[in-house]
Amino acid sequence: MSEQNRAAQRPVPEELERVLAAEVSLRSRLRHVAVGLAGGCGAAVIAVLWATEPHAPPPRTQAAFAGLIAIGLAWAVLAGWVLSRRRPLFARDRVLSARIALAATVVTALAGVALAAVRGSTADLVATATGGVVLTAAAMLTLVRARHRRRALLRLRDALRQDAS
Amino acid sequence: MGNDELLVVRCQLGEREAFRELVAVWHPPLWRYVRGVVGSSHLADDLVQEAWVAVVRGLPRLRQAERFAPWLFTIARRTVTDHLRQTYKAPETAMEDATAVVADDELSGVLTTMRIEAGLAALPPLEREVLILFHLQDLPLASCAEVLGVPAGTVKSRLHRARRMLRDHLAEKGHEA
Repeated sequence: MSEQNRAAQRPVPEELERVLAAEVSLRSRLRHVAVGLAGGCGAAVIAVLWATEPHAPPPRTQAAFAGLIAIGLAWAVLAGWVLSRRRPLFARDRVLSARIALAATVVTALAGVALAAVRGSTADLVATATGGVVLTAAAMLTLVRARHRRRALLRLRDALRQDAS
Repeated sequence: MGNDELLVVRCQLGEREAFRELVAVWHPPLWRYVRGVVGSSHLADDLVQEAWVAVVRGLPRLRQAERFAPWLFTIARRTVTDHLRQTYKAPETAMEDATAVVADDELSGVLTTMRIEAGLAALPPLEREVLILFHLQDLPLASCAEVLGVPAGTVKSRLHRARRMLRDHLAEKGHEA
């Protein structure tokens, strides 16, 4: 039997199937989306809390605030790196993730605005509301682009199916 | 080819069951290519797995689904090259040469798949891989050029040289060219 025939009959190794199943896992992607959003949103809420402190907190408290913000942002950056390099989102995953991100951003923005309204000055409230609007707009833009990409692929898939039949 | 493109688009959409089909279709030719270049089945298994991981990770960014085949072999080639570079700790000087453009020769109709496979092991890596891509994988000249990262003219000259070397080798072994 020739090498070509042996190769043609060569089944996909189970190990490769296992590795690829882990690579395409939706659960893994959503976990990183959740981690990134939790880190980013958590950091934003802590920043609002810090900014709306009525009096300058003691140095240890400030260090704790800064540390928590840094940890939150680090998780967000790590999740972003994983989702761009290791577990990139496919079209449907992007739409789902963008919806989750939009919901998380809206909730965080509302929480931030409520905190600023109760604890901060008018300037704090305006700054928080502006930040919330910008982040929400960015999340909406991400969702629009994700849906656009998915629609384009769905149209292409349907056209190819028609050609094949 | 349309079915391949459809599979790729389904994968890009995120239809998980399509990945299994895509791998089932493309694993044998990819393995054969890598096996032909590195000359070891076990090493080919490892490198092909590495290449597939890179393919899955890069698939969402592939803009032209119809260009999947050359893109796939480009990734496989990069994986092999990286491995060889790590193994020998030397720049791939042997992988870049051949600038003269030579017209296609008359051997195209004579070299059968069987003959090419029989003589592949005796050829240097550059010549071996261009024969695998062009004759065994049936990639068009432009796709071979894309995979190898050289102009189409260089592919032609490399093919010409590879066929000549293969013919000489087969002649030494007693085959009729």
